[in-house]
Amino acid sequence: MADTSALELDRLRRAFGGVVAVDDVSIDVKRGEFVTLLGPSGSGKTSTLRLIGGFEKPDAGAIRINGGRVDHLPAYQRDTATIFQTGALFPHKTVAENVAYGLRMRGVARADIAPRVRQALDIVRLAGFEERYPAQMSGGQKQRVALARSMVVRPAILLFDEPLSALDLSLRLQLRAEIKRLHDEIGFSAIYVTHDQGEAMAMSSRVAVMRSGRIEQIDRPEKVFGEPASEFVYTFIGESCCLKTQMASGAAADADGATIDLRLANGLADGDWRLYVRPSRLQIDRADLDNRLKARLDFTEFLGDVHRYHFKAGRIELFVDHQGAIAHRPGDLVDIGWRSADMVAYR
Amino acid sequence: MADTAPPMEPPKLAHTPRARLDATLLRILGLAFTVFIIAYIAIPVVVTLVMSFNEASVIRFPIKAWSFAWYQDFFASPQWVDALKSSVIIALGTTVISTVSGVLAAWAFERFTFPLKSVVYLVIMLPLFMPGVVLGLGVAMAFGNVSIFGYDIYGTRGLVMLAHSLWAMPLVFMLMEATFRTVDHRIVEASYDLGGRPVQTFFEIVLPSVSTGIISSALFAFVISLNEFVMALFLTTRDTQTLPVLMWLSLRSAGTPRLAVASVVLAGAVFVSLALIMVWYVRQLKKT
Repeated sequence: MADTSALELDRLRRAFGGVVAVDDVSIDVKRGEFVTLLGPSGSGKTSTLRLIGGFEKPDAGAIRINGGRVDHLPAYQRDTATIFQTGALFPHKTVAENVAYGLRMRGVARADIAPRVRQALDIVRLAGFEERYPAQMSGGQKQRVALARSMVVRPAILLFDEPLSALDLSLRLQLRAEIKRLHDEIGFSAIYVTHDQGEAMAMSSRVAVMRSGRIEQIDRPEKVFGEPASEFVYTFIGESCCLKTQMASGAAADADGATIDLRLANGLADGDWRLYVRPSRLQIDRADLDNRLKARLDFTEFLGDVHRYHFKAGRIELFVDHQGAIAHRPGDLVDIGWRSADMVAYR
Repeated sequence: MADTAPPMEPPKLAHTPRARLDATLLRILGLAFTVFIIAYIAIPVVVTLVMSFNEASVIRFPIKAWSFAWYQDFFASPQWVDALKSSVIIALGTTVISTVSGVLAAWAFERFTFPLKSVVYLVIMLPLFMPGVVLGLGVAMAFGNVSIFGYDIYGTRGLVMLAHSLWAMPLVFMLMEATFRTVDHRIVEASYDLGGRPVQTFFEIVLPSVSTGIISSALFAFVISLNEFVMALFLTTRDTQTLPVLMWLSLRSAGTPRLAVASVVLAGAVFVSLALIMVWYVRQLKKT
C-alpha cells in the first residue's frame, strides 16, 4: 500500500563499469520502520543508500518516497536526509548553523528555525553547544550534531550510512542506544547501513542481509538470526562453527578423508556437507545428546564472561563457549553434543 | 644460546671534541649563509628606502640630510598621483576579473568532465608562460584600432586589466584548481542532501571552505598587476599610464629620489597586501 510506505525500492539495479553493485533490490519501508541493510563491504548496501539519497542514478528500477517517484530527482529535491559516516558537518558553520542549514534550504520561515534548532539539539542532548564549531567537538558529539541536522528537517526517510563505524566501542554502544531511543520516541522511518550485525540486531525493525548487490534475506532480526535463509546469512550473522564432513554410507570423515567420530540424529545423504552450530549451543561432555562429536581439546581462551574451548577432530576445528572451568586438559578426547534444532547442514 | 643475536649496542654518539668543533663550525657557516641570503634579498629594498628619505636631488652616498621632502613632492605631483591611481585601479580591476573567472573556471574543472579537458587546461595556462612583450604587443595590435560606440578601446584601463588578467587568471585558476581539489566532497553532498541547490551549495559551502585560497590568489592577481610593466607600457597612454611605466619614462629625465619614493610606494602596496593576507590567515586559523 503506497499510503503506508515511506520508501519503496522496486527492482533497483546499478552497475559501475562491469560490476553490478546493486542487483534487483526491492524493499518496502513502512512509515516508522527502521530497516537495516547489513552486509560485508562491497555488498552493495552503501550503493543502495546512495541511490535512495540521489547521489547516484539507478540503471533500472524505481524509487518511491511516500508513494511518489523520485529516481529522476536530484539529491536536493528528495525528501531524504543522510547521516554520513564521518558526520560531514560544515566546518565553517557553528553547530546551530549546521542544524539550521536544511531548514533554511527548504525555505522554512526564519522565525520557526531557531525554536526547531533548539528542539533538535535538545533531543540529541547538545543544548548549550549552539555556538561551537565542529572542530571543537568530540567524534560522538559531531555524530549527534549530524543526527540533529538530519532529523530537524523531518524527512520522509532518514538514511544512516554507517554513522557509528568511526567511533570507539563504548561510544558506539552509547549512540546506538540513543538512536534506538530516538526511534522509539519519534518514530521516524529509516534505512540504516552497517556491517556490524550487533548494530543491525539491536536497532532494526527488519534486517536486510545483502551480498554481492542482492538481498539474501529480509526479515525481523530474530527471524534472520533464528531462521537464516541461506548459508551466507547463517555465517554472516552471529558466530558459528563449521564442520566440513564427507558422509559415506553413514560414516563421517573430515575433508581429508580421515574418519571422525560423528553421530547425527538424522543421517545425511552421502557427499560433502558443511554442518554449522553456534558456539553457544555446543555443549561439553554431553554424550547423551542426539548429535555429538568426539574431539580433542586444543587450547582455551578466556573471554571474560565465558571460556572459549577450541577443539580439533581431524581437520575440523570448532570452539565452544562455556561458563566456568571444565575438567579436561589439552589433548583430552571430549564428547561435544548439540540438539538437532541448533544445527544446519548445507552441501 | 648460539642462535640468538648478541644484544644490540647503543650507537656511539658524537661526543669527541673534534665532532663538537665540526658541529659548531657548521652552525656558524649556516648562520653566515642565512645572513648573506637575507642581506642579498633586502639590500635593494633597503637602498631604495634609504634613498627615498634623501634630501638631495641626486642619488649619491653618503646621505647628507634626511627628509620627507620627496614624499611631499611625489604626492603633490598630479602626474605621479594619477599614475599611482591608475596602477591601483588597474590592479583592482585585474583582481576582480581574474579572480571571478579563475575561480569559476577552476570550479568547473573540479566538478565537470568534458571532452578535451586537458587541452583546455593547457590553453588556459598558456598565457602565464608567454613573454609580456608578446602578449602586450598582441593585445596592442588586436585592439589598436578597435572602438566600441565610438569609444576607443586602446589606451583604456579596462584593456590593461584584461591584458593583466591574461597572466593573473591562469595563476588564480592554477591555485584554485588545487584548492578545490581539497574541498571535502562529503560536505558538498551533505549540502545537496539537506536541500541545498547547486548555486546555494557553491556559495554556502564550497566558497567558505576555499576562502583562504581565494583571498591569497586574489592577492597574487593584485600584486602581479601592480608589478606588471611591459604590457602596461604597450597599452597605456599618458592618461592611463601606471606607476612602473611612469617610472621608466622618467628614468632619464628624473634620476631623482622621486623614483625611489615611487619604488617605496609600490613596494609598500605589496607589503600591505601581504600583511592583509596574514591577518586573514590568522583569523581563519583561530576559527578552526
